[in-house]
Amino acid sequence: MTLISKLYDWVESRLGISEVIQKEMTGYLLPRTINKWYSLGSVLLFAFALQVISGILLLIYYVPDADKAFKSVSVIMNEIPFGWLIRLCHAVGSNLMVATLFLHMFSVLFMGSYKKPRELQWVSGFTLLNLVMGISLTGYLLPWSQLSFWATTVATNSVGAVPVIGEYLVEFVRGGKLVGPPTLGRFFAVHVAILPVVIAGLIGAHLFFLKRTGISAPPTRNNQAATTWQGGAYHYDKHEGGIPFFPNFFLHDMTSISIYFACLLGVVFFSPYLFFTPDSFVPANAFQTPAHIKPEWYFLANYQILKIFPSEIIGLTVQGAGMTFIALLPFVDRGDKRYPLQRPLFMVCAVGGIALFIALSIWGHLS
Amino acid sequence: MGQEGRRLFLMTCIGGVAVVTAGAVAYPVISYLAPRKGKDNSASVSIPEKDLPPDGAKFFQYHGKAAVIVRKKDGSVTALSAVCTHLGCIVQWEAQKGQFICPCHGGQFSTDGKVLGGPPPKPLELLKVTVANGVITIG
Amino acid sequence: MKPARISGSMRTLFILTFCLLLSVVPLAAQENTCVQCHGSLPGRYGEPVLLWKTSVHAGNGVYCHECHGGDPKDMTNAMNPSRGFKGVPKQTAIPETCGRCHVGVLKDFMGSAHGKKLGNGGPTCVTCHGNHAIKKASLDLINEKTCTKCHPYERARLMKQAMQATEGRITSLDNRIQTLKLQGKASEGMEQGLFNARNRFHTLFHDVMVEKVRSESTAIDKELETIGAQIDAIEQAEKKRKIAGSVAIAGALLAALFFRLLGKTYDN
Repeated sequence: MTLISKLYDWVESRLGISEVIQKEMTGYLLPRTINKWYSLGSVLLFAFALQVISGILLLIYYVPDADKAFKSVSVIMNEIPFGWLIRLCHAVGSNLMVATLFLHMFSVLFMGSYKKPRELQWVSGFTLLNLVMGISLTGYLLPWSQLSFWATTVATNSVGAVPVIGEYLVEFVRGGKLVGPPTLGRFFAVHVAILPVVIAGLIGAHLFFLKRTGISAPPTRNNQAATTWQGGAYHYDKHEGGIPFFPNFFLHDMTSISIYFACLLGVVFFSPYLFFTPDSFVPANAFQTPAHIKPEWYFLANYQILKIFPSEIIGLTVQGAGMTFIALLPFVDRGDKRYPLQRPLFMVCAVGGIALFIALSIWGHLS
Repeated sequence: MGQEGRRLFLMTCIGGVAVVTAGAVAYPVISYLAPRKGKDNSASVSIPEKDLPPDGAKFFQYHGKAAVIVRKKDGSVTALSAVCTHLGCIVQWEAQKGQFICPCHGGQFSTDGKVLGGPPPKPLELLKVTVANGVITIG
Repeated sequence: MKPARISGSMRTLFILTFCLLLSVVPLAAQENTCVQCHGSLPGRYGEPVLLWKTSVHAGNGVYCHECHGGDPKDMTNAMNPSRGFKGVPKQTAIPETCGRCHVGVLKDFMGSAHGKKLGNGGPTCVTCHGNHAIKKASLDLINEKTCTKCHPYERARLMKQAMQATEGRITSLDNRIQTLKLQGKASEGMEQGLFNARNRFHTLFHDVMVEKVRSESTAIDKELETIGAQIDAIEQAEKKRKIAGSVAIAGALLAALFFRLLGKTYDN
């Protein structure tokens, strides 16, 4: 015992760990009214960590070569002990992560947490959503199946709607006129080297913004939980008399993470092919387009928008405008009220927008 | 049970779950990373006798490691591990001298694997070899 | 090495069929004069075209001239003997006509009791398979109505019985392998094995010796059993995974419960 306490004293006298713990954990106060939705951020951190770990494990046996990629994934799925488990965790995990990102975003929307002074959290968070979709898109190609190949062909094709440079842009993204071995090379680099680092960095910034402004309190009808921030000088939302992050909210986070993990395992073990189609088990064939090729579920709305407009450029512009609007939402919606039922215009737009997104996705799925 | 007792009990339960989880994660990951057994790693290797030059040596894979067959002056064939016993480099055949030399630190071995000079602490491992009907079989 | 010979002839057959397909596809686009002319004729001149349209040959792009000769590209000389027009093949020439493409089957047929009676009241290919409305070969072709045209059904019934179980096994194994394939399971080895067993089995269809059919069917069943065992092993592993998965999910939910309960003790 004395040895351990001596070691502790030795580290403590040099790094002052107890002060960090006091400041960041037991003394880091959160509003007393905080709810479960606030734990989605931790769930996403866990989901991201799981993707990184399973991704590194897959890198050990995956071969990023157009001639060998499909075979190597097949070997991971069939021959390497527990390769199926790691691959399914990675593939299913990416889908669940996108779904959780949507939930996280919706909770922030309805609780009005994006409003000042938390504009930067919103912008960084929305960027993260798009980057995660980007990493999913690039990862989709890597198994080099019929599904990968043609979904990527369709996705990269839409870049061609950009005026003037569109055609060259498509070629640049693909590394050739058509999707082929050069595309695999660049998508692989983006998927395993560039995007993970950018996402990790942006997560860091997102958390930094959160820590500096202090967390928002959930709004109620009578108490808008408006920040005490008045503009001008820097101000930290203290939440005097709140609950400590550790152990109180940490245990909430762990509960949510355990439930998320149970859901992930549920899909992995009981519905492993939920996010796969038979085309994902046929090697890519550049001369044979399979019928009914569809993007992943979270791209279905974008896919459908491109289809319903008579020209691709209009579709792309509409999407771009919509995305820009969402990204800049805190600068457009500047009212003080945060309680959703006291923001009728916002509610109509948000519920309508989500309904439209779901309807377009279903339409895209069925068409 | 008081508040403290309840906490202690639940923490013990969580500790138990954590240990089981660690095991349930470690087992698949270690199995996944464990070296894979080659299909015929333990099988013997057959080489046609004509592939062995009269004054030369032939290198090949044997049980996942480098090995070599060489024709001795008396015409008989020996098979040796080609892994130098000093630091594990692969020895090279010097036809003029009729001996093996390790390129890393100059260890010298005879065709019987004996150390003739340099730092190697042990002779090269001899492998079982049989020659029949023009086929050299090692192992 | 009987299986090797058979799969060799199967390969030849496949290549032949492929070449035929290649040569026929452009023709189809140009409209085949045989089909064009005879298709519009009434009665017995037009009937073969209607029947042929329902056949496995039509489905695979095998046209009139493959059997009857002639030139389907040249309307005026389509039925000129100098263009290879043969008309209706003689009874004894039927097996060799079909055998131009069905090489392996011709050998099997000619070696059988059926084939040895060719020209002496024995059957030809069309006796069982029909001529123009030719169907995909299956065990259903062995039936009382067809066989009793020439002899009592008893022996044929025994043979059919011996083969029926095997045929059913092949079909069911094929379905199970296809299911696994759609799940990305490594099925190549099993597919190849089943392909070989099926070919070996199909050569029996033209053998009319009860004993040989029985013994061969038994041997083929053995091969099928090994394939079945492989499929079983995969399905078994899948079941084990589900059990392990249930335990893992229960563990995660239990952890969630413990965390929540512990959290509750701090909530006030």
